[in-house]
Amino acid sequence: MQALAPRDRTNWAGRILFLLPVSLFFFFFFVYPFFFTVFTSFTSWRGIGGMKFNGLANYKKLIMDATFRKALGNNIIWALCQGFIQVPLACLVAIILVRKPKGWKFLRTVYYLPNVISTVALAMVWVAIYNVNGPLNAILGTLFGMESRNWLGNPDTALFAVIFQTVIYIGYFMIVLLASAMNISQSLYEAAQIDGASTLQQEFSITLPMLRGTLVTTMTLAMAYGMRHFESTFLMTGGGPAYATTTMGIDLYLKMDALRYSEASTAGVFLILLGTVVITVLRKLFGKSDPMSEMAQ
Amino acid sequence: MHAKRTPLWIFANILKWILLGTLLGLSLLPLLWLFVSSLRTNLELQISPFGWPAKIQWVNYVKALSMASLPRLLLNSVVVAVCAVIVNSLVTSMAAFILSREHFKGRDVIYTILTAGVLVPVISFMVPYFSLITHTGLYNTLTALIFVYTAVNIPVSIFLVTAFMKSIPKELEEAAIIDGCGFFKRFTKIILPLSRSGLVTAATFCFIYSWNEFLMAMLLTSSIESRTIQLGIKFFSSQFITDYSSMYAAVIITIIPSVAGYIFLHDKIIGGLTAGGVKG
Repeated sequence: MQALAPRDRTNWAGRILFLLPVSLFFFFFFVYPFFFTVFTSFTSWRGIGGMKFNGLANYKKLIMDATFRKALGNNIIWALCQGFIQVPLACLVAIILVRKPKGWKFLRTVYYLPNVISTVALAMVWVAIYNVNGPLNAILGTLFGMESRNWLGNPDTALFAVIFQTVIYIGYFMIVLLASAMNISQSLYEAAQIDGASTLQQEFSITLPMLRGTLVTTMTLAMAYGMRHFESTFLMTGGGPAYATTTMGIDLYLKMDALRYSEASTAGVFLILLGTVVITVLRKLFGKSDPMSEMAQ
Repeated sequence: MHAKRTPLWIFANILKWILLGTLLGLSLLPLLWLFVSSLRTNLELQISPFGWPAKIQWVNYVKALSMASLPRLLLNSVVVAVCAVIVNSLVTSMAAFILSREHFKGRDVIYTILTAGVLVPVISFMVPYFSLITHTGLYNTLTALIFVYTAVNIPVSIFLVTAFMKSIPKELEEAAIIDGCGFFKRFTKIILPLSRSGLVTAATFCFIYSWNEFLMAMLLTSSIESRTIQLGIKFFSSQFITDYSSMYAAVIITIIPSVAGYIFLHDKIIGGLTAGGVKG
């Protein structure tokens, strides 16, 4: 009996065997792709034939590339809107729902619903909504007598339109913030109430400061997502019209589609690098947060 | 509520419900509109984007399902999502068992590296994934998608399942060891059955991701034999461009599995989302 436990505790063969499958998947789909991307970004390679080392040529080319610059600018707008509009809105909703108004559980469930529905389906609906003859123009026309416009076809409104529809995805950040707000000790509020603090004062002097860590985490994540945004824009506009809505991800895809592999890799390096910069800078600025313990969906 | 019903309180309350109501509308109305549109005729859709069908057109669903490709695409999606969930659950439960129940140097480093994968933008790996899949001869196969979806979900699953397994009391395992349970039996008889709930949460996330994924499916497949339903409604819809109502019916069919899954498992999904969020 005594002998069983120690022998069992050091079952290295078992440990390695059990970690092996995950490690293989992780190696082939995370580690190898990372080094492959970095390596090919320093070569000229068009998918077929050999790779020739060409130093920083791809980086110089990409920085001067008007489309990529436009994409980078759009990604920054995306990141700012996600971090400074989407998350504060999610926070506001979380602060309301933590007081458990009627139907708060139902609302929490429904607000997350769009996150489980495919982007393809929702993008199709939003294209229809933004259509010249679509519901949005019908509503705005009836209510405000506004002229019908082609929201996604006009370079002036397209970026705004694709960013606006992401408001339906606040559910994720809202749920994370709500869970954090529910963890705040009730005694803090009771003490504040005895001191005569109004509800609004309580939110500002208790809820918001207590949520600070989670707010930093969610803002960091939201901005990192903004930097890597691809799917709904690609599906709604393909990056158009006239690159008005393009993002680095779309630029990467189009470059790859045009067999400009090494340039696509360089865009990939930028994407990884900028995402890391966003996370590091925000952590430095606002103190510790733990984005690693959050999940991406 | 203790607050007094002052005019300010009433005003704030009205604002609050306007906000909650608007967001509720934004979450539900697009789906409702899609569903209603799928029951109208094309002529009705052309006359006005709004409105109820004069007569409910279930026939749109029959037409959608009789589109030559739709059943095949649905089957492909089911195969890919189910296989990805099975492979992902299997490999992550094994690894999570080691990462949560065994103690050795370097364990936490492995855990951190694996879960840090969530921070990597997978879209930046389009080129290497394409190259890897082509060179292994897996291009345009369901296997390619199963591998990619399994892999992309590993960081999230490891995070969820490890956290769950860590919460299982040590005493249960010690009792099993005294009863003569070895390494494998501890996994199959004790830890695995007890972490069913955590595994279901991870599997749900993996299923939703695999069912809805678009980019990798577009990148790694080229024909109907291995394309998934998401590509189907994106690309095959252009063939039926005049038949919007059937297309909307097809879209409704494709979102039924995720919505049904969400209705049944929303507690687990929300619980999974907050597993990491409560720290802070």
